[in-house]
Amino acid sequence: MKPFDVVIVGGGGAGLYAAMEAMKTNPSLNIAVLSKVYPNRSHTSAAQGGANAALANKAKNDTVEMHIFDTIKGGDYLADQDAVEVLCSEAPKIIRELENIGTPWSRMEDNTIAQRPFGGATLPRCCYCSDKTGHTILQTLYEQCLKKGVIFFNEYFALNLSVNGSRSRGLIAMNMKSGKIEAFPARTVIFATGGYAKMYWNRSSNAAGNTGDGQAIAFRAGIPLKDMEFVQFHPTGLRKSGLLITEGARGEGGYLVNKDGERFMARYAKEKMELGPRDLVSRSIETEILEGRGFDSPAGTYIHLDLTHLGAALIKSRLPQIREMSMQFEGVDPIEEPIPIRPTAHYSMGGIDTDNFGRTVMDGIYAAGECGCVSVHGANRLGGNSLLDILVFGRIAGHTAAQEAGKFNPEPIPEAELKEQFDAVRGGMHSSGNYERYGALREELGQTLARNVGIYRESSLLQKGVQEISELKERFKKVRVFDTSDVFNTNLMQVLELKNMLDLAETVAAGAYAREESRGSHTRVDFPVRDDVKWHKHTLATMVNGRVVLGEKPVTMGRYELQERTY
Amino acid sequence: MTAPNDQHNETKKDVTFRVFRFNPQVDSKSYFDDYTIPVERGVTVLRSLNYIKEHIDASVSFRAFCQAGICGSCGMRVNGLSKLACTTQVWDVLAKSREKDIIKVEPLRNLPFIKDLIVDMDPLVDKMKQYSNWIDSTMPEASMGKKEFLISEEEFLRYDKATDCILCASCVSECSILRANKEYVSPAVLLKSYRMNVDSRDSIHEKRLAELVKDHGVWDCTHCYRCQETCVKSIPIMDAIHGIREDAIESRGVKDTSGSKHAEAFMSDIEKKGKLVEATLPIRTNGVLWTLQNLLPMAVKMIMKRRTPPPPPLVKSAKGIKIFRGMFREMTEHVKQDHKSHKK
Repeated sequence: MKPFDVVIVGGGGAGLYAAMEAMKTNPSLNIAVLSKVYPNRSHTSAAQGGANAALANKAKNDTVEMHIFDTIKGGDYLADQDAVEVLCSEAPKIIRELENIGTPWSRMEDNTIAQRPFGGATLPRCCYCSDKTGHTILQTLYEQCLKKGVIFFNEYFALNLSVNGSRSRGLIAMNMKSGKIEAFPARTVIFATGGYAKMYWNRSSNAAGNTGDGQAIAFRAGIPLKDMEFVQFHPTGLRKSGLLITEGARGEGGYLVNKDGERFMARYAKEKMELGPRDLVSRSIETEILEGRGFDSPAGTYIHLDLTHLGAALIKSRLPQIREMSMQFEGVDPIEEPIPIRPTAHYSMGGIDTDNFGRTVMDGIYAAGECGCVSVHGANRLGGNSLLDILVFGRIAGHTAAQEAGKFNPEPIPEAELKEQFDAVRGGMHSSGNYERYGALREELGQTLARNVGIYRESSLLQKGVQEISELKERFKKVRVFDTSDVFNTNLMQVLELKNMLDLAETVAAGAYAREESRGSHTRVDFPVRDDVKWHKHTLATMVNGRVVLGEKPVTMGRYELQERTY
Repeated sequence: MTAPNDQHNETKKDVTFRVFRFNPQVDSKSYFDDYTIPVERGVTVLRSLNYIKEHIDASVSFRAFCQAGICGSCGMRVNGLSKLACTTQVWDVLAKSREKDIIKVEPLRNLPFIKDLIVDMDPLVDKMKQYSNWIDSTMPEASMGKKEFLISEEEFLRYDKATDCILCASCVSECSILRANKEYVSPAVLLKSYRMNVDSRDSIHEKRLAELVKDHGVWDCTHCYRCQETCVKSIPIMDAIHGIREDAIESRGVKDTSGSKHAEAFMSDIEKKGKLVEATLPIRTNGVLWTLQNLLPMAVKMIMKRRTPPPPPLVKSAKGIKIFRGMFREMTEHVKQDHKSHKK
């Protein structure tokens, strides 16, 4: 195959923006997007709320500077301040650019892009399209990529980088339709495969495929991952699926109730009750469950989000989506019964370590979006900043790769490596000597993470988590792929995704065990306060001889000094 | 709670999933496999399929991703109707099931099979390209990012519903025209085309419309409404199709396509006589030459079998034509006014 100038792995918001921008930067380049799903299926579509940008359409006194400060404070001062400056100052431009190419933003009375308030933001600056913002952005980007003639390799599962010393020859991937393992020699590769929070399995709001494939591939190629221990939990996920019930349900007056019928938030946040900050509410619910005041069910222990007292009229007019989701996914009508909920892993702050241009430590390898970690979210992401992140840094990575592609000479990927990948993927995994069921391993991984590396973390639990993950990795060696067919072997794909999650889970648990402080989403019961002397730094996780080795990287400061984070 | 009823009160039961199977590597034709599993109230069809894949037969293949009804991956036919498996409750399907406690699961129709419940989506993507399903902005690329277009709430509302489309292809699967003609544009692509056409930021309205009025385009739809009935996002797809047609007649005139001429001929006959003058319909739709070339053999056969429609002078006006004309005029007036107020 003719070598590509840019291969983009992942077709969500970051990947598609990168593709569009790379084509714009240099239309003569040979650019391809490789995605394990059709790009319009990507998880960007699930983002409902919106994207922050200081357009000052709604609040005339809003400024980029205020957006920068809100983001740094929200991230508990772990974000790199120069990166946050890029994020926030590029924001108005990128939202307008999306508007210029057809994104159907909701409008204000003066016909400008509409904005609404969002958590952690001083002023209303979240641009939206009803409650389908991510979906419409993704559609727009996909349409523009089709217009520009971007080459798509849909339903290709990325397996590995072919590495030669300090640089890569390109990517090796499996064509799902044929089962063939194919080489993608490339001068540059951009990873934009989304987050890894699905490792918490049914304690996650993520799509089934948010398994951190790009991070795992980079990690195995020796590229460091940054701040992996920071995983954001949302207080109200549906019990069975982990899908999200928005904060709006509590905003309208919903109660959180335990199995004794008690509105327990009175014990944690006497004044704010159910409307306390997201991390506090998540921690409170978790405590109720841990101390045995939750409801037991085969699908796990949960508590009630009770809306019945609000009446049918209010629920139907203001919370129609919530009602529909409760009925579709739990079979419960919130007008008649309380909704079973529990906190759910929602977003991964950590990812592939990059500079502000999307570059990793390996020549010609870039990362962007939730897959990368610049870092703009620090220890805790603000609502409305994730869509913004994928757009801004997707574009930057696409531009940088297109500009730098000429610097790297292409090299063919040796046939032997394809054979090696084939053996690794298809060789032993069908044999009857393999007896482990992937479903059981995946379930246990989710459970051990939720129990030991969840909302509350503590030395002995984390140690246990590290231990159990390493046992699961051992057992994975005996996993069996029961489906032996070549055509669209989804069983095989699920097993390979599990492998990626296991590799990354180890870095999450190890990072959380090492970080002896509480910061943002990372709550250590045994170290309940932020420790800026010892821990105001990023964690780096690198694979050395098959083992996780932890290192560190300083936080880039700027205008804002460390302060206590209070709301 | 509603009145107690046995089925409603049951919280768990055994359900048989009759799953369409086809693996092109080994099967010369498709077949069904039955899987009987215990299902709790509140469980979706997708969760049941996941259970089957994990616990009974790992080779059962289907697509699924977000599991929340927004990515559109898990479109399939459940007891004959195209739906998203992830938002379909087993209990709801059973309530309407003809065979007790049996749910038949099949791939979407009108797209090529790949394996089991997985169909090839490429034909749909190709059509999106053919009909330029994107905004070609009136703003030059170099000036982008500097200022917003000012768009009224009213314009936004014109395409708001259409942008709900998640390309799940349920409408494609149910479309009766596609069953007969795979080249037909398809409801999803018509919907997207409409969404682009009514957007004031777009500059290729004419080009897109020219493609839409060609063969296999917007005039091939027969108004069966299956697309709209089945849409998982309840999008009024037929409004979009009618919108494109009205647009085509208005901005291109009625004379350039057989579809629009056919519609005009229908309207004129109905207004004059209350019924069709069939003998001259092909000539008015497709012209004399086309009719002679294509319909002469059939006309001869019809004459031999004495099945020819009556010549135009013999077509008498329908009974009560005067009252009908009054009604007809009133309706036409209404449509015109709706159209005007819609445009404001």
